[in-house]
Amino acid sequence: MTEWEEESLEGRYYDWPLFKRILAYLRPYGKLVAVSLVLLLVVSVLNLAGPYLTKVAIDDFIRLGQYEGLDRIALIYLAVLAGAFVCQFLQYTLMQYIGQKVMFDMRTQVFAHLHKMSFRFFDRNPIGKMMTRTVNDVEVLNEMLTSGLILVFSDLFTLVGIFLMLAWLDWRLMLVVCIVFPFLYLATYAYRTRARDALRKNRAHVTTLNSTLEENLSGMTTVQLFNQENAQYQKFAGINRDKLKEDLRSLHYNSIYLPSIDVFSAIGIGLVIWYGGGRFVQDEVQLGVLVAFFQYLQKFFEPIRDMAEKFNIIQTAMASSERIFELLDTPEDQPNPERPHSVSQIAGNIDFENVWFAYNKDNHVLKDVSFSLKEGESLAIVGATGSGKSTIINTLLRFYDIQKGRILVDGVPLKEMNKQDLRRQMALVQQDVFLFSRNIMDNIRLGNTSLGLEEVESVAQSVNSHHFINNLPFKYEQELIERGSSLSMGQRQLISFARALAFDPRILILDEATSSVDTETERQIQDAIHELMKGRTSIIIAHRLSTLKTVDKVLVLKHGEVEEFGTRRDLLQKKGTYYNLLKLQSDFSKGTV
Amino acid sequence: MKRIKAFIPYLQTYRREITIGIIALLVTDFISLVIPWLLKSFIDLLPQKPSGSELAWYAGMLFLAAVGQAVSRFGWRKYLFGPSRKIEVDILNKLFQHLQTLDKTFFQNHKVGDLMSRATNDLRAVKEFLGLGLLVALDAVVVIIAAIALMIYLNPQLTLYALLPLPLVSILFFGFIKTIGVRHTAIQEHLAKITSMVQENLAGIRVLHAFAQEENEKKRFDALNREHIARNMHLAKLFGMFTPSLVLTIGIASLIAFWVGSKAVIAGDMSLGAFVAFNGYLMMLAWPMMAIGFVINLTQKGLAAMGRILELLNSRSFLVVSPATIPANSLRGEIEFRELTFRYPGEDNPVLHSLNFRIEPESTVAVIGMIGSGKSSMAQLIPRVYDAPESSLLIDGHPIQEIPLDRLRRHIAYVDQDPFLFSTSIRTNISVGREDATDAEIDDMVRCVHLTPDLARWPQGLNTVVGERGVSLSGGQKQRIALARALIRKPEILILDDAFSSLDIETEATILSNIQRLDQAITTILITHRLSVARQADQILVMEQGRIVECGDHESLMKNEGLYQRMYTNQALAQEMEILLQ
Repeated sequence: MTEWEEESLEGRYYDWPLFKRILAYLRPYGKLVAVSLVLLLVVSVLNLAGPYLTKVAIDDFIRLGQYEGLDRIALIYLAVLAGAFVCQFLQYTLMQYIGQKVMFDMRTQVFAHLHKMSFRFFDRNPIGKMMTRTVNDVEVLNEMLTSGLILVFSDLFTLVGIFLMLAWLDWRLMLVVCIVFPFLYLATYAYRTRARDALRKNRAHVTTLNSTLEENLSGMTTVQLFNQENAQYQKFAGINRDKLKEDLRSLHYNSIYLPSIDVFSAIGIGLVIWYGGGRFVQDEVQLGVLVAFFQYLQKFFEPIRDMAEKFNIIQTAMASSERIFELLDTPEDQPNPERPHSVSQIAGNIDFENVWFAYNKDNHVLKDVSFSLKEGESLAIVGATGSGKSTIINTLLRFYDIQKGRILVDGVPLKEMNKQDLRRQMALVQQDVFLFSRNIMDNIRLGNTSLGLEEVESVAQSVNSHHFINNLPFKYEQELIERGSSLSMGQRQLISFARALAFDPRILILDEATSSVDTETERQIQDAIHELMKGRTSIIIAHRLSTLKTVDKVLVLKHGEVEEFGTRRDLLQKKGTYYNLLKLQSDFSKGTV
Repeated sequence: MKRIKAFIPYLQTYRREITIGIIALLVTDFISLVIPWLLKSFIDLLPQKPSGSELAWYAGMLFLAAVGQAVSRFGWRKYLFGPSRKIEVDILNKLFQHLQTLDKTFFQNHKVGDLMSRATNDLRAVKEFLGLGLLVALDAVVVIIAAIALMIYLNPQLTLYALLPLPLVSILFFGFIKTIGVRHTAIQEHLAKITSMVQENLAGIRVLHAFAQEENEKKRFDALNREHIARNMHLAKLFGMFTPSLVLTIGIASLIAFWVGSKAVIAGDMSLGAFVAFNGYLMMLAWPMMAIGFVINLTQKGLAAMGRILELLNSRSFLVVSPATIPANSLRGEIEFRELTFRYPGEDNPVLHSLNFRIEPESTVAVIGMIGSGKSSMAQLIPRVYDAPESSLLIDGHPIQEIPLDRLRRHIAYVDQDPFLFSTSIRTNISVGREDATDAEIDDMVRCVHLTPDLARWPQGLNTVVGERGVSLSGGQKQRIALARALIRKPEILILDDAFSSLDIETEATILSNIQRLDQAITTILITHRLSVARQADQILVMEQGRIVECGDHESLMKNEGLYQRMYTNQALAQEMEILLQ
């Protein structure tokens, strides 16, 4: 996995289309970017003014023994410093602002895109991966935009500026100094190829090291119970050794390359002394020019040193951006219809007509399922584990699209409706309740902030949740932690009922919880379910036999097929599975089994 | 100071390299001070019309100095940074080894994320402090003293003026770094909020989409991210001031040197070469001045990180270390609980209340009860995941603490509901149980735990890699692999803690009877929710709120008409229901 990623990273390095796509995110801020670049240019120029002013001072004043005008130069110098200070500050702040905006755009885009994805996508992609895309990868990209890319520009400006300055001061001397550059280039190239290799291997080792460490920390008890301490330690130390080897190798290259730049710098200065000194003796060049050359050459090698490091940032950012774009390019596989059927208020008639569905090709979970429910009717679905009960719910909510047949709500096929509008008419109560780490009130009303405390309270009251919520230290303001782990199973159930009721759905979908709770809570839950079902079309996945006696219709599922469907009376007369289920219960309560 | 002391031994391992590094650093500093001096002599020589060979001599000297500098720079990079990286590895290895000695209590009090962060981020801070920090500190001191001494030698008065603004650099740097740190933490905390919102959104995607909350969540996320911008800009403004103000301060110093110095040159108090050299030295001071702030920052971070790492290294296991005298080459498998009351370390309320019972060697005991009734707590005491109070738990008649821990664990296999698999192949995972297991033995075990049908579906069979923590496997597959791993050790005591929860009842029954048929005398403790399985056991313990409320075989418990009878009837009903629906 890491091998492969690193592999692809190599190719991305020169990927111009990818780069253009990243830059496209800067387009909305084009003017600001332009201002920032101009400021950058100004800063670079101002930074180069110092040595030139020194030259002027030496040649025009000091060597001539002239006092007048020196103060003026000092003042100009001061102005240059102040100007550089202001421009640098503005430039940096501006660029950060742009970077933050771009990051904001990109992150909200990724987030919005994730919400467009279907459940097939979520089944395939682990949460951790998508989190990395939305958070870390975007962050890396920002770093590249704000520091990497900009600094490359500033370094380029500085380099070009120095070149021009040197040429203007004395082009012959500049050409002589230029002899150094081919060698500098060769050295940099040689360094980069080697260092990149070492760095890449090192990164791969660090990844393995961290995952081994994490694995051992999470599974420490297992390691200890199986007396694996030494074996694991040997493995870990081995990876650590490999990592160190690459670490030291890249250090070695660094240790050679960085000092070597100083040698090149010294050769440059040596050339100035030797060639420039000779020309000075022949009065062809002024002393100030030589001094300026010394100072410029020193400045020249700084950006070169930096740039080698910038490439690393850019490289990782390219890899990150590629992963982000890959996510953004994942098409929405269940888009809303272009001209959706309006579903502002539905009655709640549901029809399944010969529905076929498979999560994986041909492995059908629902086979030719048909049933219909009139407005306000309630249905219990029973079936063994894996018979397709939850799949019926999943397809009705359009979490998944069916392959054959039709599902109709009020006579309109699901595919012709806007998914969100459809779901607004339904409420889902899951078996294992998902609570958010927000307060109770927000967990009940979710984003529906039009509901105030009073409404939420009255909703909670009708499903028996008010009492225990009111006993919490902060009542409805109580913040929940880690998916509501501080609440009991029963309490979480009751909150999820309140949530469903708060949305006042036309269709209620309820997956009965199997976990056992104490009798009092059980009574409250049953009570609340009745309240919820009142006046709504309801579909309940039944795990309790008692539920089967309270609904209008029953659907018995077997291996994805409808075995029995009808009103309770019909099914009792049929003396099939439903009949046997009820019989079973009465036998048990009589104690005959 | 105490903290640093704990880390000195790591440095000492590499004292030769470090000595070479320090010498190289001093040489580097010396040469970098020589170079401006050479330039000075050159410039002062120029008006006297030097000959070509004289110029070549200067150029050559300069080149030599540069080469010398490059070599010595290579030396300190390699011999100062090198050891710091090696020390990082040493500390990490040591930490790893130490963590292996800690018990479950420790790992429950420390999240994996926190431990990881100490082992990576904190360790990096220590490495930077020990490598970069000490190096920069030494470098700064040497350069500052030498450069200032030379500047004073060149022109004492000018030195005084030029140096005036420089202390400001350190103060600025330090002040900024501190505030930057605070604001940076604020950003990191906020980023954590963003992360957890994304995480929660993905985990709760069913609820959000079922209630059509996409737009609301986007709004929330927008707001959260706007706040993120605000916090980042708060830092950016400060940071934007940071570098420019350092540049400005140093610029002012050089302006003073330039202004006052140039007049001194005209007045003849100073040669032009000295003026240029003076500027050179002044520029050399810029970095060490910043470095002082930098070092202080590195030191603070490094010390805090050292503290956090030391906290780990000083943690001790809660397991009692007593003179383990019993050789225990094999166990008979007799287990006795004697008035055992157990509370988790650091907790006030006991989770187990005066348990009294004896498990005969080679018998099977089923333990049943609701979630949280103390079944697992009890089971975990036997392989000493937690420690029972002394003399309350006896194995083969010996207090458990008297049996050497590794021996004890060699004879006990504990399989839980959510087993931890290593991200290697299935074969390697099984042979974790016993490294010298032959392929034939592994195959036998695979058959015993009924894994053969599953293996047939994987092209690579036993060599299939299970992915991180076995993500690519189903719960039932993981449980069976874990069971094979446990059985291959040929344990005398086997604890199955709801170990078949993801398997259907028939498979569970098959496996259990396979285990019975193994050529091995095993005492089995079977914790289960399935009473149809439990009823087969020689003895059934019913637990409720940390107490054993009923005890006996199936027949006697059914006559009792207590909790067991109720649970059994309910389950039988549910089971009948399921059978009917199949």
